[in-house]
Amino acid sequence: MSRRPLPLSSDGENIVVASGIEKSFGRGSGRIHVLRGLDLTVRKGEFLAVMGPSGCGKTTLLHVLGLVTPQDAGGVFLNDRQVPMTEAARNALRRKHIGLVFQRFNLINVLSAADNVAIWLRVRGLPADGRVQPLLEAVGIPHLARRKPSQMSVGEQQRVAVARAVAHDPDLLLADEPTGSLDSGNATALLELLRNLNRQRGQSIVMITHSPEAAAFADRVVHMKDGRLLP
Amino acid sequence: MRPAAARQRYEKTVMGWLPLANILHHKLRSALSALGIGIAVCMLITLAGLSRGSLFEIAQRWESVDADLIVLPRGWGDNASDKSGAALADRYANKITEELPKLVRRVVPVFTWQMKLAGQDQMATGVEPDQWDALSGGRTIGQGRLFDPRGDYGRWIRAKLLTGGTGDGEVIEITEQDLSDPAHNGLELVIDTRLAEAGGYQLGQTVFVANHHWRIVGIVPAGAMSRVFLPRATAQYLFGNGDMTRSTLMFVKLAEGVDPGPAVGAVAKLTGQDVVAVTRYRGMLMEKFGIMFVYVDAVNAVAMIIAFLFIMITLYTMVLQRTREIAILKCAGASNLFLARQIAAESLILSGAGTVAGVGMSFLAARAIQAFRPLLTVTITWEWIAVAVAVALVGAMASAVYPAWKAGRVDVAEALAFE
Repeated sequence: MSRRPLPLSSDGENIVVASGIEKSFGRGSGRIHVLRGLDLTVRKGEFLAVMGPSGCGKTTLLHVLGLVTPQDAGGVFLNDRQVPMTEAARNALRRKHIGLVFQRFNLINVLSAADNVAIWLRVRGLPADGRVQPLLEAVGIPHLARRKPSQMSVGEQQRVAVARAVAHDPDLLLADEPTGSLDSGNATALLELLRNLNRQRGQSIVMITHSPEAAAFADRVVHMKDGRLLP
Repeated sequence: MRPAAARQRYEKTVMGWLPLANILHHKLRSALSALGIGIAVCMLITLAGLSRGSLFEIAQRWESVDADLIVLPRGWGDNASDKSGAALADRYANKITEELPKLVRRVVPVFTWQMKLAGQDQMATGVEPDQWDALSGGRTIGQGRLFDPRGDYGRWIRAKLLTGGTGDGEVIEITEQDLSDPAHNGLELVIDTRLAEAGGYQLGQTVFVANHHWRIVGIVPAGAMSRVFLPRATAQYLFGNGDMTRSTLMFVKLAEGVDPGPAVGAVAKLTGQDVVAVTRYRGMLMEKFGIMFVYVDAVNAVAMIIAFLFIMITLYTMVLQRTREIAILKCAGASNLFLARQIAAESLILSGAGTVAGVGMSFLAARAIQAFRPLLTVTITWEWIAVAVAVALVGAMASAVYPAWKAGRVDVAEALAFE
């Protein structure tokens, strides 16, 4: 799988390491190389922002780091252990260690805010009893537990999505343009929420963003272009 | 239950809640899907109840005759359920009682014919007035009286036909006025309560049927062998070409303790005619009309298949519409089994609701049918309800297979690529 030597095990301070990641889509002449030997290290407790123009491979990188999409080449290390390529193993690791926040929230419309969080826990085999309301309190919307997504503002929906993503206390929170659908007020509030999670809970975060203002909330910003990180 | 406890239980069942929430979110589509199942279930129960109910009701009426055997003209065999007319010589009645006195207690010859009443053909049965009790299974006339109660008509018509001519080819002419002469009351009918209700017939009413005017002189509780009864002599004269010596079939009552099995052989040997046990009549009906059940069951099967295709399309559409939601659940670690369970649960809820509605609708349909067509019998049995429930459950699970498989194949990265 790996074309280049993978980095030796680190000092135990890295939450995720991507080494020599290559990913392409399509076949033949229509084949598009999205990630071209990308290397990235995220340290535990780090809030990392990834910026870059559209089409540079940011979301694909996030999917590779989130074990949603397998890379074509290279390796991903999670907590210093190489992630296997089998789907079952990747599912198990994703279920336990990864939280995902999307630009368009992706809440389940027919369920209330509380149930959106609860089902996220139950699918993972975790008890939801007594855990949902504190999570909604942590993201500042305890009063919206019974509301359905259609009864909430976009900012409130994104807070539910964050509560859902961190409900199982993941090692790594991946956020794909989480402020992309929010106005500036809601965006700032959300970014402060993410930063608080990072600071207060030590939550490792990788956030994709187009926005320099959003990136400013991160500890470190890396830039991508043409499937690689810029030096 | 306290709110907190209720809430905890609610949270525990949130995964079970998701299918119901999805169904409630798409109320119209869900209602239509359940209605499709309901209509199919209703059809299954109602058509089965109607076809079998009507047939079994006829069989029960024949079984109500106080007799053990039926003597049929040779060759009718198992195909006697729709025969009528002058087919069997009355002399066999005497022959049987005289030559098999230890076996046979009574023989009741009857003449059957089709008469159109209440808009449909009814099997009318001609019987001697003094044999009414045996034929009707001891039923008493609820309203009015029996036709020709003193046998005046029978004696008159037989005397007329046997002695009225000169014997050298003179045509004996009997007019309707002769038949209905108050002195001997030939054109009288007894009908049962269901026919009276269906046709709106009243006691004493005159009806024109079979080219004659008949007076309804009695109404008997439903359940007797046929819905229309008339003097056998009238039936023989009018519908048997004036042959007063032949009937259609005979009911034989065996002596106490006689085994019907050997008795069938003895009577058949004596008469040379076909003889069957009364209990065999149900089987004869089934053999004659059993093909109807095949058609009914085929129609039911098609209706059920269409209903479940509808469910499958609904679930499949749901999977297509909720690709992103499914992807999100997969992102959270939901297994294919979990997704399959969700879809199967939706299918079961839709089918369950449809089945409950369908069972209820079948009872309403039965009442409606019997209100508008009182002569039809819809017998809804627990067996057929159980069949309908079982078919609905199996169909629900089968309908969920393909959508569940499709849900399991949702590509998470592709579904989320539209971000």
